Amino acid sequence: MAKKLLISVISLIIIAFVIVVIVFNEQEYTSNLFYMDTYISVKVTTSKYKSNVILNDIDKIFNKYENMTNRYSDSELSKINNKVGTFEISNELSDMIKISLEWYNKSNGLFNINIGNIVDVWKKYRTNKNGVPTVDELNLDINIDNISLYGNKITVKNANIDLGALVKGYVTNELKSYLKSKNIKKYVINAGGNVIVGNKKNDYKIGIQNPDGGLLTTVNVNNKCVVTSGGYERYYEYNGVRYHHIINPFTKFPSNYMKSVTVISKDCTKADIMSTTLFLMTIEDGKKLAESNNVKVIWYSNDNEIIEENYE
Amino acid sequence: MNKNDILLVIIICSVALFSLLMFNIFKNDNPKTAIIYYENKEILKINLTDDETNEYIVKGYNGDVKINTLNGKIKVVAENSPLHLCSKQGYISSSYETIVCLPNKIIIKIIDDDSLDSVIG
Repeated sequence: MAKKLLISVISLIIIAFVIVVIVFNEQEYTSNLFYMDTYISVKVTTSKYKSNVILNDIDKIFNKYENMTNRYSDSELSKINNKVGTFEISNELSDMIKISLEWYNKSNGLFNINIGNIVDVWKKYRTNKNGVPTVDELNLDINIDNISLYGNKITVKNANIDLGALVKGYVTNELKSYLKSKNIKKYVINAGGNVIVGNKKNDYKIGIQNPDGGLLTTVNVNNKCVVTSGGYERYYEYNGVRYHHIINPFTKFPSNYMKSVTVISKDCTKADIMSTTLFLMTIEDGKKLAESNNVKVIWYSNDNEIIEENYE
Repeated sequence: MNKNDILLVIIICSVALFSLLMFNIFKNDNPKTAIIYYENKEILKINLTDDETNEYIVKGYNGDVKINTLNGKIKVVAENSPLHLCSKQGYISSSYETIVCLPNKIIIKIIDDDSLDSVIG
């Protein structure tokens, strides 16, 4: 009898062990999300036990920022855009606007979030693929002084704020904190031109697409954000000229100093803002900005040259 | 414990080890496989190592999405969307390329032995 009991106990222990191993065994779980007009691929290494909660929470975080910043829906931002007055806004929205206003100064006006109306004009032309906006159509007030922020209170007039150049970076920064709080170390989240990776023994190998097709180069990173800006994904051609979506606020036309630029930094918001800003300036000017902001940059010039500078 | 008891323990251990082994084997995909998702749901898996041309139809958000494979490559041939971006994309053949039909919520990824963790662009 004692022997039988012993065997039963051993069997139960083994079965319990197998169940525990299966439930807690860490493996890669993935999800596909569609937010911010882009496809987002999420890969996290965790246990089956935790995976559903983690993937759900990541979805919720993206959803939160979509409902906050989408200019084309009934978002928090839409409630202040094209309005006149003072409004109370959420901490996150106020923080994103605060960072943007600081970067307006750091970039001597190249990083301008009050460019929504100009973006809309170009978007209309990109959809119709016909013609180029006239000077009159682009003669819109994009003065940054139309926006003033005091804590969580914003005063606006003639403002159409577009946070597209930093929101993905800002969300990925939040995801980084969230995943850290859940003790998730290995992850890769790719939100269009923004990739964030966690920590693993061997570095993560991230490929950078060549705007002319194939791969341009690869970078090995750990616990970093990699952000690329280029005029090769959202564009249209008219009379043999390519017009893309990254608009210089001074010329109000797409910028053509390079084919693409990639920024690598621990701070995803900074990487996102800088990739847009560097795309709007010459490579030489960009080197100075990159150096003073301690980031790694890979430019792909119009002459198909790869220029790398590491100021991290 | 007599001989039979020991045998039983060995059998249970073997079953446990076998389950673990199978669990790990099924985690890996075949080399060069195309996986087609509708949002988060995997709806079709195609072995791309075949040299044959095949046509598949999957259900997208706006209706049928027609997919074609040929010599290790895969493309979308027809779908219902305003700009037809994913049918215009043409064939993809490596894991660093993805076809995303945003209006149809269809994603086509290729899994091969490439060592890249992600591709940005």
